[in-house]
Parts: sequence; structure tokens; C-alpha cells
Amino acid sequence: MALTIFSIMIVLLLLGFPMMIPLIVGAFVGFYSLFGGMGQMETMVQQMMAGIRPASLIAVPMFIFAADIMTRGQSAGRLIDLVMSFVGHLRGGLAVSTAAACTMFGAVSGSTQATVVAIGGPLRPRMQKAGYNDSFILALIVNSSDIAFLIPPSIGMIIYGVVSNTSIAELFIAGVGPGLLILLLFSIYSWIYAVRNNVPTEEKATWGERALALQKALWPLGFPLIIIGGIYGGIFSPTEAAAACVLYAIILEMFVFRELDFNGLYDTAKSTGLITAVVFILVGAGAAFSWVISFAQIPQAILAGIGIDQMGQIGVLFVISIAFFIGCMFVDPIVVILVLVPIFAPVVNSVGLDPVLVGTIITLQVAIGSATPPFGCDIFTAIAVFKRPYIEVIRGTPPFIFILLCVSALLIFFPQIALFLRDLAFAK
Amino acid sequence: MSEEKERSQLQSQTDTTGTDDAPLQDYQSSLPGFLGTIDTAISRIESVLLAAGVLLMALNTISNVVGRFVFQSSIFFSEELNRILIILITFAGISYAARQGRHIRMSAIFDALPPRPRKVLMVIIAIVTAIFMLGLAWYSLQYILTQAGRGRVLPSLQIPVWIILVWVPVGFFMTGLQYALTAIKNLIEKDIYLSTSVLEGYDDGEMEV
Amino acid sequence: DTWRYAFEEAITDVQGVFATKFKEEVEANSDHEIQLFPYGTLGESADIMEQTQAGILQFVNQSPGFTGSLIPEAQVFFVPYLLPQDEKELNEFFRTSKAINEMFPELYAEQGLELLTMYPEGEVVMTTKEPVAGPADLNEVKFRVMTNPLLVESYKAFGATPTPLPWGEVYGGLQTNIIQGQENPMFFVESTKMYEVTDYITFAGHNNFTTAIMANQDFFEGLSEEDQKMINDAIDVAFEYILDYQQGLTEESLAAIKEAKPSITVTRLSDEQRAPFMEAAKDVEAQFIEMTGDSGKEILEQMKADLANVSD
Ligand code: NA
Ligand code: NA
Repeated sequence: MALTIFSIMIVLLLLGFPMMIPLIVGAFVGFYSLFGGMGQMETMVQQMMAGIRPASLIAVPMFIFAADIMTRGQSAGRLIDLVMSFVGHLRGGLAVSTAAACTMFGAVSGSTQATVVAIGGPLRPRMQKAGYNDSFILALIVNSSDIAFLIPPSIGMIIYGVVSNTSIAELFIAGVGPGLLILLLFSIYSWIYAVRNNVPTEEKATWGERALALQKALWPLGFPLIIIGGIYGGIFSPTEAAAACVLYAIILEMFVFRELDFNGLYDTAKSTGLITAVVFILVGAGAAFSWVISFAQIPQAILAGIGIDQMGQIGVLFVISIAFFIGCMFVDPIVVILVLVPIFAPVVNSVGLDPVLVGTIITLQVAIGSATPPFGCDIFTAIAVFKRPYIEVIRGTPPFIFILLCVSALLIFFPQIALFLRDLAFAK
Repeated sequence: MSEEKERSQLQSQTDTTGTDDAPLQDYQSSLPGFLGTIDTAISRIESVLLAAGVLLMALNTISNVVGRFVFQSSIFFSEELNRILIILITFAGISYAARQGRHIRMSAIFDALPPRPRKVLMVIIAIVTAIFMLGLAWYSLQYILTQAGRGRVLPSLQIPVWIILVWVPVGFFMTGLQYALTAIKNLIEKDIYLSTSVLEGYDDGEMEV
Repeated sequence: DTWRYAFEEAITDVQGVFATKFKEEVEANSDHEIQLFPYGTLGESADIMEQTQAGILQFVNQSPGFTGSLIPEAQVFFVPYLLPQDEKELNEFFRTSKAINEMFPELYAEQGLELLTMYPEGEVVMTTKEPVAGPADLNEVKFRVMTNPLLVESYKAFGATPTPLPWGEVYGGLQTNIIQGQENPMFFVESTKMYEVTDYITFAGHNNFTTAIMANQDFFEGLSEEDQKMINDAIDVAFEYILDYQQGLTEESLAAIKEAKPSITVTRLSDEQRAPFMEAAKDVEAQFIEMTGDSGKEILEQMKADLANVSD
């Protein structure tokens, strides 16, 4: 059944159906064949609702809204001017700054989709103007946002920790090394890209110009303060920080910079709602599809067939990586963790693998999966927000995916990349 | 540097296009007569709900923070209210997105086809999508009726769960209707339409109605 | 046949242990096979409950606290200090209670559910950043509770600022100090690593987390008498097994936590220290009756009678 469903979905996708249709048809065929007819379609609706229910998803529309207000007004531009006054003269400086900004914002906000919007939204036009190719920009934004999965707080790691009975604090620390390694490799790739494509640099700004840029950015610097200070200072949950940014953005753009009037606010809210709906209906349809996979116990069936018990540590890690990589290509990452982790738990134990290492590798696969075609939440978000065709959004991804896969392999052969900091912190 | 000049320079420096380049224009139905009036009116309602939903969500979330810090008391229904709003936004939004031709699709192969097969495919896509949307409208209505029969309530607000779902069948139905009309539009007109009022093609900013 | 059984916790938590035992019993004594679906694999608590009502799942484990949105009377298990604080009395209560074994099954039947049994999952403890010896110590402490009106009232009465937070944000919320406390049974504090982000574990004896296992009623009634008996026997075996399993589970969890975090402080409040909490809890009982009317009052009174029978 699984193979039939996947084939139908891919065909519908390639023919140009709205993306929700392959997912809905996949779920529909699953429900139809599992229950021999239309008798249980209500549960399909239930699961679509369940998909858009998690409270943490609220951060997505809130960050979209805040970013849209900032970008339509002056806040975003002033912040970018400030960054540019320091890195504009460096080859690839803007690209590296974008990757770093995505990593930081994603790390703190905990939402990769929100990162695509909040950082990608304002920076993409500026990178285009600086001479970067759009496909490169889109791929950079989507993939850098996904580093956020590895850097605390990470919802994927929390769920893995609970399901596998592993220390979440240790997981959090173990994610930092690989996360920074990926950022470093992305930065190197960005630099190579800028050199090879001869992306022009700006003239080096004087300290006076930098001071001026800083002065102009004083008000907008409140945003990072709200997000970082608010969350780490225990004032806000990430979702609340997003809403606080909305409030601050409205105050700045309507009353300080006077760039936005009530009509503008209304239009921005409407467009935020539209983007949210377009992405969330896919999240909902994806949840219904995930339910089918989970209910039919398809992963169990596949894994039972490959004889994982006979493999050594390295073999098991490879199988886990591949299973999560493929799973996350088609199914919501959280569901993949919930379903697959218990299946792998016995073999992870029996070959004596460190569950923290396994968790880090799994989280990395989840990050890759969100940016990998055909179904990836961050790809959907980028399409909806930037209004670019699917193919253009994914065209630039291969080098990034390649880097991520290299890091996966490195992690398998050199676990210390992840465990070094953990061992240091927990004196193991 | 004069005030005027500084301002214009600042403008050019901050000339970052919005995340959503062209602001969404008000929708004008291309349906004839009375139907068109209704269609336009519904789209207005949807856009008001979308905007109001997003604004209320921000207000609700911020109020909760203020309540917790200033009044030492959280708003208990805050999370449930956001859940209601997210369903409202999603399901008012999917039909609005269908009108605007904004649903995400992978069109690379589609775009490469010659006009004639492309048009045939567009009609098929619109019909199949309409069928599934209308089907989901039906089953979500059934789901609501089942929910109403069981009487489950939201823990904090203590209101029946089915009430927060009423937008689901309506949203699916309106979306299905939009795709059905798109199929008809493609059969009647010479050009290829993504929705009743949007010609295909991503880059055609002007075509975005 | 293949029967499907979903529950609200991971396979290694108490509900998972119960489910695994039940599965073993059924498969040993019949030709039926049972597939287990742990937390989240088919949706959240309310989802798996609905799927059981729809007949997609045959068995579901849902705690009455969640069932409260469907069957208000089930919230009686959130009335603080109602259940015995002594383990032997508690076990005897679950075995013999008329409210649990006769009255609740009727209420569940109205929702198309066959209530097979209820069982305790362990004493609920508070984990906090600062020591708790009495209600005064909870003053202005933002305490995460499930979104349940009675729990909220309880913690208000205890002097805290009850703060709803989605489960996924609790760990991070404690880490960044948005909240300063949460409550859960001991084994869950261990398995969800709540002790990593709090420093004090307090036993106030205010509750023992109760859960219930039920079957789809049409399914159950459609079974042969032989199969029904086989299921009930399997439930009985799993029930006694889980009571046994729990003896010392709290201590084991505590030992594991102490090994992972030696700096943790564990306090069992004395009877004198519990008194002000018990006093504060009286309003909550009134609140329960207000919410559930005569039917709730009847259940509450029967439970008290059942409790009187086991405590002497
Ligand atoms: Na993160
Ligand atoms: Na993917």
C-alpha cells in the first residue's frame, strides 16, 4: 500500500496539483484502503485539525506578521544597514551574515518557519540587490534556518529526550557543536559562491558611517533585545516573544517612523493570514497522511525486513540516519521522531550506542528533512512568503544538502563533534 | 545635507521589498451579475476574518503576558482562543488563497507543456481539487455533527468543541467552489486561469487581481 | 484478529508497562494480536479517545483528567486530598470502590465506552526552583498546570499563580524561568527530565495520578463471552501487575534522579505541613460540585464512602 500511495503522491505533485492535493489524496487512499471504504473519513478531518493545533505553531503567524510590518516599514532596513556597514566590504559578507542571522534567530525562536520569514523576508531583497542569485539566496535561507533544530531550545530534541528517556540538557549541549560546524561550512560555501560568481562588494564603511548606522538602528535594535532578552530572561515563551515583536513593530512603524497607517496594518494582517493558511493547510494535510503511515505500522514493516540486529554501531547509525532522512522527506518530523525512536530503541541499546549521539544525529536528519524536497515545511513557507515557484526555491539546495549529509557522515565517524561539549559540561 | 535629501537617501537604503511584494488587491469577482456580487461580498468577509484573526491573535497573546506580569494571573483561555483563531485563519484563508491563485504547487512540468495540454491539465487539476475540497467539506460537517453529539467541551472556556470547528466545512466548501468555478472559467475562456480571476504565471504581477 | 490499543505515555512509562502486560496476557491466552500505539503516534489524548469512540481503535488509555471535557464527573480525581495518601489503602480503594467499579462504567457507557478498569499511576509531586514547605512558599510562583479548571483552582488555593503552558514548552519554560514549578507523578518527572530544570521535589500528598483503560463498547459487546472474559482476566492481571510494579517505582525514580542530579532536594511534607494545603483544598471540592451538579455530588459522596471502607 505504501508504495502505491507514494507513487500517486509524486505523480500528482509533478503534474502541478496544488501541494495540498497530493497529501490529501495520499491520506484519503490510506483511509480508504485501511477501513475498506469511506467509513472513517471523519478521523482524517480530525487529524487535519490535530496538525494545526499545537500551541507552538502560533509563533509562525506572529513572526510572519512582525517581519512583514518591519519590512514594509523601516525597522528591517535600518537593521540590515547596520550589519552592512560592518560586513558590506567583505566578500560574501552579506551571505554569511544572513546564514548567521538565520541560525541565531532560529535558535532562539525555536521555529524554522518563522526564521524563514523573519530573517529571510527582509534579507532576500537586499541580497538580490547585492548581486546574489535568487535560488542561492532561497536555499541559503531555508537551510540556515534549519540549523535551529540543533541549537537549543529545540522541540525535536525535547521530544526525542522524552521518548527515548535521554537527558534533554545533554542533548541541547550536544547539538551546539554540529550546529556551529554546519554554520561554518555554509559560510565557507557562501564565500566560495561569492568569489566564483564575482559578487561585488561595497566600499568599506568608515567608523563615522558605522556610528550613524548604529544610531539609526537604535530603535529597531529593540527586536533582538525583545527576542533574546525576553526569552532567555524568562519573560516570554517563544510564542509570546513573537507577539511582543508584533506589538513593538506596530508601535515603531505607526508612531515612531510613521511608515504604516491603519490601512497598511490591515493589509499586512490580511497577507499574514493568507500565508499562514497556505502553509498550515499543508501542515494539516501532512498530519493526516502521517497518521496513515503510523496506523498502518509501515515503518515497522520496512525495518523488520532489513535485519538491523546484525549490524554494528556504525551500521545502525547509518540505517537510523537513512530512515529518518527518508521519513522526514515525506512526513512531519515530530511524528517521525515519535514513531521511529521507540522502534530503534532496542537496537540502539543492544549495540551500546550513546543515546545523546543518536539524538543529535536524528535531530540533524530532521533538520535536513524540513529543507528537502518533495515535502518540507520550510520549502512551503518560502514559496508562500516569497511567491517564487517551487522549482526555483529548491534549485539551489543540492550543495547545502550535500554539506548537511557530509556533516551526518562526519558525526557518525567522529561522534566527538557532538559529544565533546557534552563531556566537558557534564564531566563525563 | 538637507532634511529632504537625507530622507530620500534613507528611503533608497531601506528599499527592501515587502515579504509579499505587491499588497493584496481587493478581490473583484469576475462572475456575472448577482453571483459576482455575492462572490465579491464573501471575499470581503474572508479578508476581514483573516486580518481580524491575526490581529486578535497578537492581542490575545500579548494580553496573556501582561496579565501574568502585571496582574499575577494568566489568561486561562488564551491558548484555546488562539486555537480557535488559527482554525479561523486557516479556513478563511484557504478559500481566499484559492481565489487569489496562491496555493503552493510545483509547476515546473506543467509550465513546460504546450498551451493545449496545459489547459486540459489545468481543467483536470481544478476539477479534482474541487472534488476533494467538497468531499472534505462534507466529512468535516459530519465530524462536527459527531462532535456535537458527544458534547466534548474546551477545558477552560467550557464551550462545546464543535463550535470552534464551524469554519472548517465552510472553508473547504468555499475552496471547492472556487476550484469548480476555475474549471468552468478555463472551459469558457481562451486563456489559462489559475483561479477565476488570476491568469497563470508567477511573475505576472499585473495579472494578480 | 488484530486489536489496536493507544495510550498517552511512552512505552516505558506506567501506561506503556500496563499496555505491554495486557498485550502479553491477551496474546498468550488467545489467537488475537495487539498493536500498541504510544504517545503521539496517533494523535493526542483527545484524538485517540475519539478514534476509540469511532471504532478505529479497540482499546484506549485516557486519564480521567482529560476525559473531564467529555465526562465532567471524571474530574473528581482532581479534587485534592480525596484519594488516600497511603499506598495500601489506595490500592484497596481501586480494587473495591463502588464509584469506580459500578458508577463510572455507566457514565463511560453513555459515551460508547466500556470502562475496563482505573488504576493509580503514582503520587503527584511538585518540582520547583525554590523549597516548598507551605502555601506561603508558593506565593507568586508561576506554576504550570494542565488546563483543567479544578487544577487551576487547586493551585490558586495553594497560593501559587497557576500558569497554563503547552507541554512542549514546559522544559524550556522552567529553564528560562517563565515558570518556577510544575506537578507530575514521580516516574514522569524522571522520564520527562523535569528534574534537570528544577531543584526541589516536594511530596504534599495532594493527589495520586489516576488513569483509566477502556474499550470501544460496540466492539466489546460484539465479542464472544469467552473473549470478554479473557480480556477482563488480562485486565485483572495487568492491574495487579501495575500495582506491584508501582511499589518502589517512586523510590526507583527518585534514586535515578538523585544519581543524575545529586544536588536535588527531596522533601516529604509532614502532616502539620500538609494541613494548610488540605484546608485550602476544601473550596475546590465545592467548586467540583458546582461544576458537575447532583451527578458529581453523588460520585463524590460514594467515593468518600468507599474510602471510609478501606481506611480503618
Ligand atoms: Na532551536
Ligand atoms: Na522534506
